Amino acid sequence: MKKKLIELKSITKSYFIGKEKFDILKGINLRLDEGDFVAIMGPSGSGKSTLLNIIGCLDTPTKGSYFLQNKDISGFTNKQLAIVRNESIGFIFQNFNLIGSLTVLQNVTLPAFYKGQEDDKRAKELLKKVKLEERYSFKPNELSGGQKQRVAIARSLMNNPSLILADEPTGALDSKTGKEIMDIIISLNKKENKTIVMVTHDESIALLAHKIIRLKDGFII
Amino acid sequence: MNIFFAKKLLRLAWQALLSNPLRSFLTTLGIIIGSMTIIIVIALGEGAKRDIEKQYSSMSVKTIIINAPSTSEGEKSKLNIEDVDLLIQLPSVSMAVPQLSGRVEMQSESQSSNLAVLGSTPQIQKLINLELVSGRFFNEQDDENKAKIVVVGAIVAEELFGSKTADVIGKTILIGKKEFEIVGLLKYKGASVGPTAVDDSIFAPYLTTYRYILGSNGKFNINMEAKSVELIKQATEDITNVLKISHNIKPGMSDDFRIRDMGTTVSSAINSSRTMQILLSLVGIIVLLVGGIGIMNIMYVTVTERTKEIGVRKAIGAQEEFILFQFLFEAFILSFVGYLSGFLLSFFVIWLLNIFSVSVVMVWWSYILSLIVTMGIGVFFGYSPAKKAASLLPIDALRYE
Repeated sequence: MKKKLIELKSITKSYFIGKEKFDILKGINLRLDEGDFVAIMGPSGSGKSTLLNIIGCLDTPTKGSYFLQNKDISGFTNKQLAIVRNESIGFIFQNFNLIGSLTVLQNVTLPAFYKGQEDDKRAKELLKKVKLEERYSFKPNELSGGQKQRVAIARSLMNNPSLILADEPTGALDSKTGKEIMDIIISLNKKENKTIVMVTHDESIALLAHKIIRLKDGFII
Repeated sequence: MNIFFAKKLLRLAWQALLSNPLRSFLTTLGIIIGSMTIIIVIALGEGAKRDIEKQYSSMSVKTIIINAPSTSEGEKSKLNIEDVDLLIQLPSVSMAVPQLSGRVEMQSESQSSNLAVLGSTPQIQKLINLELVSGRFFNEQDDENKAKIVVVGAIVAEELFGSKTADVIGKTILIGKKEFEIVGLLKYKGASVGPTAVDDSIFAPYLTTYRYILGSNGKFNINMEAKSVELIKQATEDITNVLKISHNIKPGMSDDFRIRDMGTTVSSAINSSRTMQILLSLVGIIVLLVGGIGIMNIMYVTVTERTKEIGVRKAIGAQEEFILFQFLFEAFILSFVGYLSGFLLSFFVIWLLNIFSVSVVMVWWSYILSLIVTMGIGVFFGYSPAKKAASLLPIDALRYE
């Protein structure tokens, strides 16, 4: 029996634009176990990014409940959510989202800093793992796209979270670099048993996952 | 929030400010000028106060001065030497001394200069605390005899005989065509005593001055001392009554004399310098407020520019208070560095003012006051943009382009 990591129950998300209400998610039920590797696919506007943001505690659902590691986090305060993001979740973004004024090493240690720790040793190990040793003191704008994404991956692993969320991780990269990044992500899943949730619109990338969740008009189909 | 975060966030804020040094400098300029203004204004105010205190320090607060106001109608005041004899009889008055003063050309053997002459009775020595370096002061006999003797101030000795402490006793001064013998030399005071510039004056017996030097061209006033501080008011009233009768001033006519007591004069002088100091300090505070608004303005720009960065920080687990303090520390550093610069600049400006012999006195509490006001304003105006940054929703901040 696999250990349950995430459970979403009847999650809905609505936006108001002016007085008009838009339902982005219309009742999502989803269970993910530790070690899962799923890809979320769907046309734009289907709510895949919103779903990922809710899983990542960057956004809150309008209705429904969200259990992470068997804790109902629907009622968490902003501070509690920040702690969850910091300790349990690692983010990999399409456009890397590194902080330009910080060095590579500082970017990677940032999650540890917000946890109240200083751990340059671990950051250096992680950078070595993504083959970016010797680049510690570079600034992000001195790196190529693939290198930036590898820094972002190292950063996402800094606090050793069990869940890695990747929002179009190869979207801004050429196919060869994209493949290198996917290799790293796959190995995180295989070797370190990280649970990975990845949003993509690239069928060939999605096929690398164990399972594909397709969204359309706010429903899982 | 603990020391670990405070240190790290302070460094972060410092780096952010250094990444745009020109902007940071321009932002803090208002704070620099404002904090400097407060320090300098207080130094100027203290300088003025000290000047006043020095000027009146050797003069008793019991001193009362009566003079003849310059009348526009050209009507001459009846205030004269005979009033002194009347006023000395008042029970509330312990001393009444006439003063006849003016400026005349005087010569020694080698020099000549235009200096002040003050004719009075021997009591003047006690009244305004004249200290002798050598020789003696004139006495009652000298006055009665209209003796041609003078006591000279230190500057007079310097002007006419080359040194403040020259051996002048027995030497003669020529005023007009008359010779006067110097019998005493006064100690250098460095400041005037009330309205009397002691160092620049020669002192002579009243009758001598009237008869041989100034005649009716001199300015006449009467210096008196009340018997006690409590009696100052009584004495002022008594003097008014006596002079009204003696000058034959009918009800409805304006007085041809003016009475000032030193206590009131000094306190009103100090009050007016205090008022000036408060007004100018307000100007400093207004400059600081404008500087604070400048900080707030730029902080809002910074927060907007760095919305995406804030989003990233929140996504990887920065709590609201970390973001709040990161930006609040920027305002804090801008204010503090602004204050330090203003503080250092104030030394330079005060040094300049000293060169132009403006009297300034640095006081320690002006630094504290300026620091408190500056930091208060900086942090007050920095709070709102920092709060805005802290309360951004992570998803909105991340999506911001």
